Amino acid sequence: MNETVMLHFETADGETHDVVAKVGQSVMEAAVLADVPGIEAECGGSCNCATCHVFAPAGFEGPNEQEDEMLDETDTPRAATSRLSCQIDVDAALAGTTFVIPATQS
Amino acid sequence: MISQKLNDTLTLTGPGTPAGEVMRRYWQPAALADELAGERPVVPVTLLGERLVLFRDARGELGLIERACPHRGADLCYGRLEDGGLRCPFHGWHFDRDGRCLEQPGEPAGSTMHERIRTTAYPVVERNGIVFAYLGPGEPPAFPAFDCFRAPESHVFAFKGLWECNWLQAMEVGIDPAHASFLHRFLRDEDPADAYGKQFRDNAADTDIPMTRLLREHPRPEISVEPTEYGLRLTALRRLEGGRTHVRITNQIFPGAISIPMSREMIITQWHVPVDDRRCYWYSMFTSFDAPVDKARMREQRLKEHRLPDYAPIRNRANGYGFDPIEQRRETYTGMGLDINVHDQWAVESPGPIFDRTKEHLGKTDVAIVRYRKMLRAAIDALGRDDAGALPMLGDTDPTTVHGPISNDTIADTDDWREAFLASDAERRASCTGWDATIERDVRATAETSGKPETATTPA
Repeated sequence: MNETVMLHFETADGETHDVVAKVGQSVMEAAVLADVPGIEAECGGSCNCATCHVFAPAGFEGPNEQEDEMLDETDTPRAATSRLSCQIDVDAALAGTTFVIPATQS
Repeated sequence: MISQKLNDTLTLTGPGTPAGEVMRRYWQPAALADELAGERPVVPVTLLGERLVLFRDARGELGLIERACPHRGADLCYGRLEDGGLRCPFHGWHFDRDGRCLEQPGEPAGSTMHERIRTTAYPVVERNGIVFAYLGPGEPPAFPAFDCFRAPESHVFAFKGLWECNWLQAMEVGIDPAHASFLHRFLRDEDPADAYGKQFRDNAADTDIPMTRLLREHPRPEISVEPTEYGLRLTALRRLEGGRTHVRITNQIFPGAISIPMSREMIITQWHVPVDDRRCYWYSMFTSFDAPVDKARMREQRLKEHRLPDYAPIRNRANGYGFDPIEQRRETYTGMGLDINVHDQWAVESPGPIFDRTKEHLGKTDVAIVRYRKMLRAAIDALGRDDAGALPMLGDTDPTTVHGPISNDTIADTDDWREAFLASDAERRASCTGWDATIERDVRATAETSGKPETATTPA
């Protein structure tokens, strides 16, 4: 259960943050607990607020149904690859993935 | 959910901490005037982690100076109150309310050393039963024209209580309008005639519905928050039968206070002040818009629940808050008695001295908590770039023009709940004969809601 993978977060001002994420966490949890700026996650992961918005790489798995609805309320307009990071589970296949953080969350 | 680092930033308030520097820019309650009423007006005060001593000198002036004597650190709370100041029993060094050392009677005759000794001293001022202190740099700000400060002493009662937890979790219970339907639920309604001086025990607004029933039967308020010049205004709407809406207006007053309605007669303005990082006091001012406050009765009600001299609640963690499972089944949601302060105390103490917010999950109803933390972060950032003027009530806004804040329970007969609470508040102010409660302008700002208010509900 203590398996970890490296994730990367690119902020709007071009900085990259490398985060060691635990398998089983959400991508949002990994980012917030590592103090990555720009992920607000006001609701703490209940898919309730649309403030943990990220852009995933092209071809990444799409949002679930509830997430899809919440994505209509993001502050930075959604794009084809938009996801709520609280709804992405960290697993081994995610190793090395880069998520881009939008300029605004709320 | 926030990181441990951010949790530390928001909760720790000792000297030099970011949130502590924000708190120090505002007047903070340091003691009740009652505490100085005895024969020897000297009171230990620990505020924002600083150990101080409060005293009233022979001229009746208040002083708040560092508790440790600057000579060799002895505790000046045991000092001799004489010669217009406080004298250390160790070697007789004598200090006035400005922190100046006026005498060192054991030093050689003619010594001028005392002229170079100055201990920390902070400005203090007494307002309607509470002694407020300013622990920040420069000149203290003016007091806002809040109702609790405008009303005469006869119409304000002040009390306090010790909670064994960090100040932020104490404050956050006050900006969470959803909890009242659960934590403070009474399974039976009390006769409102017995409600004097108690929260949530009157009838709701001008109806014959007991507030206890209204809260019990309408557990999913629609909650919205709007920024104001003093902090935040919270609106909780409960939809009743016949198209009517119960409107409850409460407030966050930056940085550490709230203002809420208590009954049709009174509002409560309550500060949550850090003693240190793991304890805080709530200080309440109960302000009446009607008759003078029956202080003896309100004091007696509360002294029954607290132990002096530190105002520690008699029900507490050590005795399980008086939890009674039979009562929980039959009478109250908590099983912890009828005093709602105990319910709040359990809710804020039981997460631990400093709640680990890396483990929390905020819901829609926690919108004001989210908004408040953003305000505090913005204030911390502003002080970091030396821009104190960006803090609420410290910039272009003259605090003496900040009134209210409106704290109100109203029934709106139409959808225009905003008009309903403004009208209800104006009526209460107009009929207040004991003091001038009129306000010249409403402080409302742009409405900002929690996303879709119509779907904002408490977790089932």
